[in-house]
Amino acid sequence: MVNAGFRLCPLNLYTAALRIVWMEISVIFPTKNREGYVKRAVRTAFKARAVGEVIVVDGGSRDKTLEIAEREGAKVIVQSDLIYPGKGVAMRDGAYLASCDVLVYLDIDIRNMTPEFIEKLANPILEGEADFVKGCFERAAGRVTELVAKPLLRMFYPELARFRQPLSGEIAGLRTLFYKVEFERGWGVDVGLLIDLHKLGARIVERDIGYKDHDMKPLHALTDMAYEVAGAILRRAIRDQKTDPEWAERYLRGVRAIDLGLESGRGFA
Amino acid sequence: MRVLLIGGGHSAYFAANAIKDIDPTGKLIIIEFTSEKAEVLSKTFPFAEVLHQEIDEVESYIKTNASILDALIAATESDSLNLRYCKVGRENAIPLIIAILNNPLNYEIFAKEGIRYIINPYSFIPVELSEILGSATNIIYKLPAGGVMLASIKIESEEHMHKLRKELDKSNDISMIFVSRSGEIKNSLSDLDLGGRLYLLGSEKKIKNILKMVGE
Repeated sequence: MVNAGFRLCPLNLYTAALRIVWMEISVIFPTKNREGYVKRAVRTAFKARAVGEVIVVDGGSRDKTLEIAEREGAKVIVQSDLIYPGKGVAMRDGAYLASCDVLVYLDIDIRNMTPEFIEKLANPILEGEADFVKGCFERAAGRVTELVAKPLLRMFYPELARFRQPLSGEIAGLRTLFYKVEFERGWGVDVGLLIDLHKLGARIVERDIGYKDHDMKPLHALTDMAYEVAGAILRRAIRDQKTDPEWAERYLRGVRAIDLGLESGRGFA
Repeated sequence: MRVLLIGGGHSAYFAANAIKDIDPTGKLIIIEFTSEKAEVLSKTFPFAEVLHQEIDEVESYIKTNASILDALIAATESDSLNLRYCKVGRENAIPLIIAILNNPLNYEIFAKEGIRYIINPYSFIPVELSEILGSATNIIYKLPAGGVMLASIKIESEEHMHKLRKELDKSNDISMIFVSRSGEIKNSLSDLDLGGRLYLLGSEKKIKNILKMVGE
């Protein structure tokens, strides 16, 4: 499943060329009520090299997101459970509907999206250099990343502490890899995939996709997000016998009480 | 019958038990994606053959066995997978393709792909709420095949009652019963009273026509 390294020899160059020629990309946009973005996003995705299909997974939009996506030639599906937060359910349904070899996930509301975003994410896979790519972009990592995800990763999975933005939702990976892991249902999905794919032995790289102009998450989402991200990491740490459930439970209670700037209005930069 | 049921979750549990009751001597094959669940399922449903398969292997199983299957029921916890498997089943000419939805909002998407039998397990929520909360008109049941419909109409005014009597007098091919406000069950048009409910059973076309004529 996972290639054991990639050396620069003629045979490998030939294999790499074949991968570039033969592998196709499914671009997946989890979305909800984004009728203003969907047309441009789908059209841009289709312009990227090797894109075979675009999939829009909808979280129960009340606007014309789905209708426009379908008109633009995207495959569409409504996520199987309309739960909040349901990001993981949407990502899972996207992977399950996809038929190409490589999956690329992107936020649909990136205002400066270009085909290069997709190519930068997919290239390490097409070129045989990686099985899973984590995108990062030009901005300081967010509060949940710095206060919750990174400290926990350093503690339990120090080999993953090198990732600048472990919670980034801009990712790419071999489709078959996504079928070997369980998707967290909510905000914990991105860090959960990172840990589980690492554990599977996938070759993971991080790629800078440049400046990303998009709407930031509302502040009220951060506490839930922090809790779910911590939960996703701790459940895996327990599974991998890196901590005991009691300690994890105490830590999670602590995360619930973190002031991310919601109550006091101060927050952190 | 030889039925392939894909999925080992909540919907599949009820589907498997129903199939056992409907066709006790038939052959039921259940496909589940995780080995632990497959093991539990084989104990829960000893009458079925339970197979553990990877998500990507199921399509080739369907293709290989399509000629000996009478029905395929896609009942996984993901509508994406259900759609994928239904399409493969249809392309390989399995006579009956049935999807059990997780999210009713996907109904049209499945219908557009040519999936004829789509079960929406949540369809009774609005129906039963309408009856309990006293909605004026309520389509209680629409048969998935055959175009039969059961509708419930609340008698709200003398004029309404008069219109209904007039229309129903002309229709011999609609069955009806009437439940009065006090809960008595009657079967004559002359027994209609205000506040009671009239239940009509007939073809979808005829029932819809009557509802239109009486202004529903």
